[in-house]
Amino acid sequence: MRIGAPKETSRGEARVALTPESAKQIQKLGHECLIETGAGLAAGFNDDAYRDAGVTVVDSADTLWQDAEVVIKVREPSDTEAARLRQGQTLIAFFWPAQNEALLEKCKAQGASVIAMDMVPRISRAQKMDALSSMANIAGYRAVIEAGNNFGRFFTGQVTAAGKVPPAKVLVIGAGVAGLAAIGTATSLGAVVRAFDVRPEVSEQIESMGAEFLFLDFEDSQDGSESGGYASPSSPEFREKQLECFREQAPDVDIVITTALIPGRPAPKLWLEDMVAAMKPGSVIVDLAAEKGGNCDLTQPDERIVSDNGVIVIGYTDFPSRMATQSSLLYATNIRHMLTDLTPEKDGVINHNMDDDVIRGATVTHQGEVTFPPPPPKVKAIAAAKPKKKEKEPTPEEKKATEASAFKAQTKRQVGILAIGGALMLLLGQVAPASFMQHFIVFVLACFIGFQVIWKVSHSLHTPLMAVTNAISGIIILGAILQIGSGSAVVSVLAAISVLIATINIVGGFLVTRRMLAMFQKS
Amino acid sequence: MLGQGFVSAAAIAASVLFILSLGGLSNQEKAKRAVWYGIVGMAVAVFFTAFGPGIGGYWWLIPMMIIGAVIGTYMAGKVEMTEMPQLVAALHSFVGLAAVFVAWSADLERRRVLAARAADGVMHEFSAFAALVATKAPDELTFLQIEVVLGIFIGAVTFTGSVIAFGKLAGKVDGKPRQLPGGHLLNAAAAVLSLLLAVMYLNGAGFWTLIVLAALAFFIGYHLIMGIGGADMPVVVSMLNSYSGWAAAAIGFTLGNDLLIVTGALVGSSGAILSYIMCKAMNRNFVNVILGGFGGSTGPAAEIEGEQVAIDASGVASALNDADSVVIVPGYGMAVAQAQSAVSDLVRKLRAAGKNVRFGIHPVAGRLPGHMNVLLAEAKVPYDIVLEMDEINDDFATTDVVIVIGSNDIVNPAAEEDPNSPIAGMPVLKVWEAKQVFICKRGQGTGYSGIENPLFFKENSRMFYGDARDSLNALLPLVD
Repeated sequence: MRIGAPKETSRGEARVALTPESAKQIQKLGHECLIETGAGLAAGFNDDAYRDAGVTVVDSADTLWQDAEVVIKVREPSDTEAARLRQGQTLIAFFWPAQNEALLEKCKAQGASVIAMDMVPRISRAQKMDALSSMANIAGYRAVIEAGNNFGRFFTGQVTAAGKVPPAKVLVIGAGVAGLAAIGTATSLGAVVRAFDVRPEVSEQIESMGAEFLFLDFEDSQDGSESGGYASPSSPEFREKQLECFREQAPDVDIVITTALIPGRPAPKLWLEDMVAAMKPGSVIVDLAAEKGGNCDLTQPDERIVSDNGVIVIGYTDFPSRMATQSSLLYATNIRHMLTDLTPEKDGVINHNMDDDVIRGATVTHQGEVTFPPPPPKVKAIAAAKPKKKEKEPTPEEKKATEASAFKAQTKRQVGILAIGGALMLLLGQVAPASFMQHFIVFVLACFIGFQVIWKVSHSLHTPLMAVTNAISGIIILGAILQIGSGSAVVSVLAAISVLIATINIVGGFLVTRRMLAMFQKS
Repeated sequence: MLGQGFVSAAAIAASVLFILSLGGLSNQEKAKRAVWYGIVGMAVAVFFTAFGPGIGGYWWLIPMMIIGAVIGTYMAGKVEMTEMPQLVAALHSFVGLAAVFVAWSADLERRRVLAARAADGVMHEFSAFAALVATKAPDELTFLQIEVVLGIFIGAVTFTGSVIAFGKLAGKVDGKPRQLPGGHLLNAAAAVLSLLLAVMYLNGAGFWTLIVLAALAFFIGYHLIMGIGGADMPVVVSMLNSYSGWAAAAIGFTLGNDLLIVTGALVGSSGAILSYIMCKAMNRNFVNVILGGFGGSTGPAAEIEGEQVAIDASGVASALNDADSVVIVPGYGMAVAQAQSAVSDLVRKLRAAGKNVRFGIHPVAGRLPGHMNVLLAEAKVPYDIVLEMDEINDDFATTDVVIVIGSNDIVNPAAEEDPNSPIAGMPVLKVWEAKQVFICKRGQGTGYSGIENPLFFKENSRMFYGDARDSLNALLPLVD
């Protein structure tokens, strides 16, 4: 099949869906790759780089759309592009079918199959083609960089000859992929990072990235696993509590990065005007939800504005495109993985398998039908969070009581064992001859010493321990030695054999132990 | 000839030396001295007993000891460290057999003395052990008989059990649990029969009872160990270790020799503790292990979602190059593939690059308690980076890369997460908490317990298929 990537037509879009690297991999699947001339320029890939990778460079968009059987793109098609679609052609791009119903209808009418990269279900198998996550990751990183660009101070605290610099305090709202990436970037620049999310189960992830989780003590917290790992709208009471928490933070933090999005809804307003007013002049707010209306009251999409009290509010919506090389590399890889799943036989034939959860989920039109929204996937996105066991901290009295009862129980057990043991000894003493009892005392004491001594042996020396006890158990040779001088020939022979094998045991056991112990070396 | 005083003093000295020898194994440096205590103790014991009062037959004794010493030296020098489990099992069988022989001889001597007494009622001049028997009162002789029975029984079980364990460990006998039809009922029947024979013997039946008794015990040892699978061998070997000690102690009672009793008791308790540690590490009780098989699970095991994702050497290498901390978890597979020196080379290279490399050892990894430690020591891995499960389990969360080499059940998260799993509750190494886990494994099969391992399906797991040694050797040049 011929896979073609046209130049992106929407304004300011610098990304490209095919890179020389991904082209090489796609060709391994048996496909042929086309690219419109200059398509990769903004992302740092010139036509020659594509030619070197074996890609055919096509002069115009028209030719490309005609030649390619599969068109791969970043943004959803424009009206002109949609008009170029034809029967049997496949389009792979971000499509946002819920928001672009008219476009969806149009594509259906053209008879093309559309695979929406934003509809790839969130299951582990599909992670490699989860373009939303890879773009969000870049957006999170870039948000911190933009903030730093606009922020007048260091991120990290320093003590210099010219004075002490406090570290920047960063608040990240919403710990999805973008939020976590922002946390990671900000912490590695040295900032003090706090983060908030409505889903308490992400607290571990937040803490693992090095931020402090702002814990909201609220009964009815959300279980993110029900909604496929995404947040859902929260109750008014919860929202109040949340805003109260933010209001407390506002005067303290220097940089706020908001990433809160609820799928299929306008972004929730979380950073209100009064909070902006409470912030210090020179503080920066980066609103990653600007495209959906923004989390901050003051956000203007695609604009950088300065509030009355000197707080900078950044509402750019093209963070991934601002890092076009990186985002093209990742997006092209996501596309390439999608193609790999579409070409299971690696023979250059696309098998649009609608039984496959991932392909079915991402396909929005197929064979002249709208196939959106998809049925729920057979595999649940993420396992339901297990309810955490609540372990009550015992009070000192309780602790004392349990310790005392444990001590009592232990004493009882030990006394019991001693009593039973003593009684048994007494009984044995009644029947056994005195000479036996003497030996028996020795035996019991030796067992005791054995138990005491062996518990101290280090785990790593258990094999040498076995070898050495093995050698020592060759002591049975004494028995044979005592009998070997017997007047009976049978006994002598038996004893002689015993001496032989016991000696093998002793010598072999000790030598091999020595060999082993000599190998243990300190670094 | 040395007097009885010398012999007794030597026995005390040898006992103390043996205790010091075992106690010295508490750490690696002391251990090197401790083994000398053991050697000296043994030399003292043998020398003073051999040249003590009432000992003869030097024409037999000395050549036999020389031959034995030569064979022992040869064996100890030749054995590969991966073959240690077999060697230990083989040596146990010797002790078992010797115990049977010595006990038989003791009874033959008893009969000789009794026969002589009955013939003319006059005390003869007996040599060696017979002289001692001749001085015993009737009730002492009854106890001697009980001790003989115990010595034979324990010794015989140890002998065949160890032979089978040796066969299984050396791969000469199929490692799978296998039993004759009738299973443990046969063992029980044999045990009841043995008891019957013992009673008959005590009531004056002939020497044949002891031979049949030994034969039955041989069968029990054989059949019991045949029914136990390869991965449970750490428990079996330590159990046999324990038995060999108890057999020696029983013989000590028979012969009235305290040194034998003390040493036997030391060895017996050592083996018992090792078995206990092994069982605890598998969260199973001793009876369950010995009678074979896992307990019935209480419900269907949780289903595993996801897929096993394979990775090649260059992928592993780049992850290793990026990592700061690496933990390697070896298992029996490493021993099978003889991969320890490849592992060691890898560790040296990673450490030279300034990475924090450590080993996590599960108590039941391998086929012998401490097996992995010995293999790694042989490959010159310094012992201070080889850590126990409890020492390293909390560190996995901060580890970048974990490499699992040929182990399966000991890293199975089902033990913690799935209460229906047959291995639920077994302490395991929590490798899945690390950022990335590479599993070096031959193919997609399950572990010894036959349980699917959810670790392989985790998102941060990658399967590095292939023979462990070849895989690691392929990895080596790629790591810098």
